Amino acid sequence: MKLIKKGAEADLYQTKWHDSNAILKIRKIKKYRNPSLDSKIRKQRTIKESQTLSLVKSYGIPTPLVYFVNLDDTSIMMQEIPGKPVHDLSESKIIELSKDMGKLVGILHKNGIMHGDLTTSNFILFKQTVFVIDFGLSQITIKPEDHAVDLRLIKEILNSAHARIMLSSWKNFLNGYKSIVGPAYYSKITKLVSDIESRGRYAQVV
Amino acid sequence: MLGLGIESTAHTFSCAIIEKTGKKGKILSDVRKIYRPDEGEGIHPREASRHHIENSSLVLSDCLKEANISIKDLDIVSYAAGPGLGPCLRVGAVVARSLSSFYKIPIYPVNHAIGHIELGKLLTGATNPLVLLVSGGHTMLLAFLNKQWRVFGETLDITLGQLLDQFGRSIGFASPCGKNIEELANLSSNYVLLPYSVKGNDVSFSGLLSATKSVATKNKEDACYSLQETAFAMISEAVERALSFTRKKELMIVGGVAANKRLSAMLKDVCKRHGCKFFVVPLEYAGDCGSQICWTGLLESQVKQGVALKDTFVTQSWRLDSVKVHY
Repeated sequence: MKLIKKGAEADLYQTKWHDSNAILKIRKIKKYRNPSLDSKIRKQRTIKESQTLSLVKSYGIPTPLVYFVNLDDTSIMMQEIPGKPVHDLSESKIIELSKDMGKLVGILHKNGIMHGDLTTSNFILFKQTVFVIDFGLSQITIKPEDHAVDLRLIKEILNSAHARIMLSSWKNFLNGYKSIVGPAYYSKITKLVSDIESRGRYAQVV
Repeated sequence: MLGLGIESTAHTFSCAIIEKTGKKGKILSDVRKIYRPDEGEGIHPREASRHHIENSSLVLSDCLKEANISIKDLDIVSYAAGPGLGPCLRVGAVVARSLSSFYKIPIYPVNHAIGHIELGKLLTGATNPLVLLVSGGHTMLLAFLNKQWRVFGETLDITLGQLLDQFGRSIGFASPCGKNIEELANLSSNYVLLPYSVKGNDVSFSGLLSATKSVATKNKEDACYSLQETAFAMISEAVERALSFTRKKELMIVGGVAANKRLSAMLKDVCKRHGCKFFVVPLEYAGDCGSQICWTGLLESQVKQGVALKDTFVTQSWRLDSVKVHY
C-alpha cells in the first residue's frame, strides 16, 4: 500500500481490491480536534461520501465505484481513476473543461445534491471524461441557497487559484450550468450568489 | 529611510516609526492608546473616535520622542485608510494630512489588512506563506498570486473575533473578550456538541454563536471550552484544506486572535501533518498597531510616489483582495 496523497482531511493510498487497482481513503484521527467532535465528523463524512458517490451514479455523474466501507477506521475502498485533477491541467484545457464542470454541477443540483467542496482538484479528467470526487461535505438539499454556496465556492477558487483565466472559465462554467438547470433556475441561483457575496466582509455594497 | 505610520481603524490609535534599510526594517517606536468600552458593551464609533482625537497629539509626540527623531526627519507618512469605522478612520487621516501638508512629507494611504500581513512577514521572516488573518474585522485565508493577495477561504458571515467578542459580551465581558474566554475555557474539558459549519474552504459562525449562548445559560466554562474547540477546529480544517489545495509550505497567522494559545496549538499540529513551517506574529504586534501601517507605506514608497492630498481618502469597506501590490 503506497501513500499517494495527504489530503486535507484524509490520506489516500494506492492499493488493490481483489484484482482491480483501488484507492483507500482513510480519514485519520485528528489530534487537534476534540475526540468526540472528531469521531462524529469522521463517521458522518465517511457515510455521506460513500452514499453520495453511489447515488449520483444513477444521475449519470461519473464517480469512482465504492468497493468497501469500513466505519471502524473510517475508510473507503474505491476504484482508482488514473487521470489528472483539472487543477493541474493547462489553462486552455481548464477553460474548455469548465463547461463540463458546470454541466456536472447542474446535474447534481437538479437532482437535489449539493457537493459542498467544489474545487478544481475535485474534478479528474480521465480519457475524455470528467469524474467528480470527494463528496464528504455533500448534502441532500433542494434549497437554492445551498446550491448557490456551491457555485460561490468554485467561483472563489477560480478567482484565486486560476485568477488569470477566471473570466473565461467562469463564463463557460455558468453556460454549462445553465444548459442543465434552465434559464429560470440559473437566474435565481446567480442572484443568490451575488447576495452571499454582498454579505461577505467589506464587500462592495452597490 | 524613515516612515511614520498612523493606525486608527477601530479601538486603537497608534503611531509608529520604522527605519528601512534595503529590505530590512527596524521599529524605532510604536506607541498605542486603546479605547475600552464598558463591560458587556461593544465599540461605539463616536466614542472611539473621540478617544482617538483626545489622544492623538500625545501618542504622536511620545512616538517621536521614543524614536528620538523630529518630524522633519521623516521621509514619508502613511495612514490606515480602511477598512474600518468611518469616524475612527478620519482621525488618523486628518493627522496624516496635517503633517503631510504642513511639513511637505509624501503621504500614503494603506490598507489595514495588508498592514497586518506585511508586518507579519517582516517580523517572522515568512517568504511565501498561506496567511490566516484572524481579527475582529477579518477571518480570511490568503495567498499571494499575480500581484494581488487572493482569498482562498473566508467567513461567510461574522469573523472569529466577532464570534468571541459577541459571545463574551453576552456573558458580561468587555471587548476584546478573547483572553477572558480562553481563561474560562481552560477550566473545563466537558465538550458540548455545537454546530460545525465548514463549506469547502469557507466557514460560517453565526449558528455557532446562537447555540453557544444557549449552552452558556447552563455552564459558562463548558460553553467557552466548547466554543473554542468548535470554532478553532473549523478554522484549522479550512486551513488544512487551503494548504492542501495551494500546496504552500508556510503558514503565517496574523491578527488579534493569533494571540490565542489553543488556536496556535491546533494550527501547529496541522502544519506538522503537512510538513509546513509555522509562523505566528509576535504577540506584541498581533493586534492593530502603527508599525503595520508604517511598514506597508515604506514598501509602497519603493515603487510609488505619495498621493495628492485630494486623493487621501478613507474607505470603510476596502477589501484587501482589490489592492494591487507592485513592490
